[in-house]
Amino acid sequence: MAEKITAYRFDRLDQTLSQLNKENCSIIAGGTDVMVLHKSRRGVPPKIPNPVIFIDHLSELKRVYQNQKDLHIGACCTYSELLEDPLIPLPLKNAIKTIAAPAIRNRGTLGGNICNASPAGDTLPLLYVYNAKLLLRSVNGDRVVAISDFIQGVRRVGRQHNEILVEIILPSVLEEGSHVVFEKVGNRNADAIAKVGFAGLIRVNDSRVEDVRFAFGAVGPTMVRSVDIEKKLLGKPIPLADSDVAEVVAAFDKIIRPIDDQRSTAIYRKKVALNLLRYFLSSKQYQPN
Amino acid sequence: MNLKDISTSVPKKDHSGKVSGQLAYISDVKVENMVYGVLVRSPIAYGKIKSIQLPNFPEGYEAVGAEQIPGPNVVKIIQEDQPIFANEWVNYIGEPILMLVGKELDILYRLLNEVKIEFDELQAIYTLDDAIQQKSAPGVTMASYEFGENLDVISTIEQGAHKIIEEEYSTGYQEHVYLEPQGMLGIYKDDEIVVQGSMQCLYYIKNALISALACGDDEVRVVQSPTGGGFGGKEEFPSMMACHVAVAANAVKKSVMLVFDRSEDMVVTTKRHPAKIKYRTAIDEEGNILSMCVDVFLDGGANAGLSSVVLQRALLNSAGVYKIPHFHAKGYVLKTNTVPNGAFRGFGAPQSFAGIESHIGHISKLSKLDPLDYKRKYLVKQGDPTITKGQFRDPILMEDMIEDLLNASDFKSKKGEFQRFNQQNLRYKKGIGTSLFLHGCGFTGSGERDHIKATVKLVKSRDDKVLLKISNSDMGQGIYTTLSKIVAQALDLPFDRVLYPDPDTKEVPDSGPTVASRTTMIVGKLLERAAKKLKAQWQPGVEQEVVENYVHREMIPWDEKTFTGDAYPAYSWGVNIVEVEVDTLTGNVKLEKVYANYEVGKVIDDRIMKGQIDGGLAQGLAYGYLEKMTSKEGRIQQKSISDYGPPTSMDVVSIESKVFDNPYADGPYGAKGAGELTLIGGAPAVQAAIEDALQTSFQQIPITPEVIIESL
Repeated sequence: MAEKITAYRFDRLDQTLSQLNKENCSIIAGGTDVMVLHKSRRGVPPKIPNPVIFIDHLSELKRVYQNQKDLHIGACCTYSELLEDPLIPLPLKNAIKTIAAPAIRNRGTLGGNICNASPAGDTLPLLYVYNAKLLLRSVNGDRVVAISDFIQGVRRVGRQHNEILVEIILPSVLEEGSHVVFEKVGNRNADAIAKVGFAGLIRVNDSRVEDVRFAFGAVGPTMVRSVDIEKKLLGKPIPLADSDVAEVVAAFDKIIRPIDDQRSTAIYRKKVALNLLRYFLSSKQYQPN
Repeated sequence: MNLKDISTSVPKKDHSGKVSGQLAYISDVKVENMVYGVLVRSPIAYGKIKSIQLPNFPEGYEAVGAEQIPGPNVVKIIQEDQPIFANEWVNYIGEPILMLVGKELDILYRLLNEVKIEFDELQAIYTLDDAIQQKSAPGVTMASYEFGENLDVISTIEQGAHKIIEEEYSTGYQEHVYLEPQGMLGIYKDDEIVVQGSMQCLYYIKNALISALACGDDEVRVVQSPTGGGFGGKEEFPSMMACHVAVAANAVKKSVMLVFDRSEDMVVTTKRHPAKIKYRTAIDEEGNILSMCVDVFLDGGANAGLSSVVLQRALLNSAGVYKIPHFHAKGYVLKTNTVPNGAFRGFGAPQSFAGIESHIGHISKLSKLDPLDYKRKYLVKQGDPTITKGQFRDPILMEDMIEDLLNASDFKSKKGEFQRFNQQNLRYKKGIGTSLFLHGCGFTGSGERDHIKATVKLVKSRDDKVLLKISNSDMGQGIYTTLSKIVAQALDLPFDRVLYPDPDTKEVPDSGPTVASRTTMIVGKLLERAAKKLKAQWQPGVEQEVVENYVHREMIPWDEKTFTGDAYPAYSWGVNIVEVEVDTLTGNVKLEKVYANYEVGKVIDDRIMKGQIDGGLAQGLAYGYLEKMTSKEGRIQQKSISDYGPPTSMDVVSIESKVFDNPYADGPYGAKGAGELTLIGGAPAVQAAIEDALQTSFQQIPITPEVIIESL
């Protein structure tokens, strides 16, 4: 007989937070990672060590709204919901379309993708270049952290046991003028785990680089981004000189250290990551999108 | 049934059960007094078992092993090298040693971890390359054949040749990824053991069980349950699972269910043989082929299984669809300490066709000749000898099929269009490639006459319904429908008055296994003859029975020792054209268009044939560029569908196909085999297209993004 587990499903966020404050729980939003993580062999139910607390239905976590030029996305919005939402920027929608398949996208959430902190998390490179900030809430109040500080390692995040990720904030994302690309390299076009992910953002003003950011997924324990390397390009004329491109590519060559696994090789991952970067930087012009 | 054309589609017999999700597969079945079985498997690739220490079992839980086997500890296939439960030597990671049985799976899984086995571990052979180096060591070569032109003659030709072209080509694993993982149930009864499960070959299993249980013919019974895909993966492998559950049921006197989950299935079941093929071809100054030597090496894995027969088909197809002067071939199956490789749709031919299409393409490019023109120059014609001194005796429509497909695909203008595109686009490169191929239908040589000896039976009930009594499995390929259609048409009976119950060896004679693209052509023909006989003696309201036995087509007799004669009674043919776009930054390949022409004698059901074309081609294309399975120190690395990466609907484009009529006298309504043919041309066409896009040559499949990026 299957063992019984305790599961909570409160109507409101404050009740949920107060339970979390009392007890360490496994939080289930869409469940598309938790259920796989704790899966047993055939014929035996998953073994989840803690009581389960469902948050997927909480309306406080499902809002998408604009605050000046910032975009706030509720952590429990499913991918499918975000694809339908007019406020979600096109590059993010394109990234979401590469995730799994419709059935998973109907359950999986943006907050879940962040808290799962997979090295190959599909939306993460893009959220890094958007400088995403995360609003965490507990009975003690709110705090906001940068996504790059929140994600600390493979499946390791800086969430206290009594906290819930409430919103993903994309600062200034609704300002016009940036050119953003996202590329997911998988072994096939659906239901694939990324072998390499790349996101790049550039804003050009008066034919010079005003802002530039890039992040790589699946080539290290967490997303690879370097503000120091990005800074080297500020103020450079567009199109970038070959030497500028080469310098940036060489700098990333030093810090990208992927691994061999059942999905690909370290050599491939690195070469493709640098190819995508070089291609992004070598563009003759950048159309805002 | 009175169809003007037999090819007109009808609803499939098993359509509503499958579409509604009501049909019970073996893992849905529960019977009284049933326990589960789980297998204790070898964690090492090669060694000797020193000791086994079992945990304390709770009541109702026990271990079953070699000592409980009433007969010899051998899964009866061809050679006696595959134990039911390894009790002395283990030869690969995952080899079954014991089965634990009991009521609850979670308790069984816990007990599995508590079994302690000590081994003397020995140096294993992990790769085909290692095995090739050690092929003369005892036990490494499991089978070999050699035939064709005298090597002295070839040596003289080579001395006078303009150039000798040598190439080494390798092909990887392929996993079947049938939708339903393997499953088998052994039902314990006082007077018999009934084995029920997902399978292609009822009588293979029955024969294996009679041997394992050392029992009489009427003490075991094999029943096929609805089978969710086979592709050859359920040809010989289920015999071992059937032995496991039958031996266990017999030992514990309970019914025993053994079902794999996907990861267990991917790691321990048979795969397509990885191959290495060496070509040595002499050409003259104009690029004409003077002679060709082909050496084929198949990685057999740890047990012989059906590998010798797979090698035969690989060799028989080693010259492709070409008439090559002074051709010589030899081949080996080599043992490695890896999961045994076995039957897989195409059965050795996909490796050979990928190799020969690649090699001929490369020769033509070296001589600056158009690959397709060059191939057509060597294309076999009706009346030509085969490489085994047999004969292509039926009409061959390949030239018409090629011309038609060139027009359908607008091949000539595409070539120019792609060249212009590739000059302008820095990132993406487009290419177009072709493949020409055939498939020998039915068993190799005299197998049907000497080994299979198929028998079919039709039973007419008092209410004038007709039942097909044959041992062939519908595994999704549609024979419930096609064979019923053949019988209904011959009897001029409504389709719904012809029934095809799930085969049960207690009820059906041995009409042979469901393999080798033989079912429609061989079994279908027997059924057509039986139906005509029944029609002639039809008595309304009376129970009647008709039996038909296999009759061999007169040919040049096959001699396995000299590898000469007619290897197959008939051949089906195909042409594929594939367009791709390659991303030079990532190495990813996108299929853009796929065109296919086939000739299978006569189509029995258009929609079912389209299913075979689309599914077979998707599987064959993926074999060439997408699906990738690797073994590291004897361990399969890809344990999930997403890591292995078979194509989704987002990867395959709609396939434009046409089937040519060319009725074959010894097939029902003219039909030949179609199931395997459709896979074979996929990989070579996709390779040719990628090579065209990148203007380079590859010597391997799959051509993964990793391979492409390394080549750039």
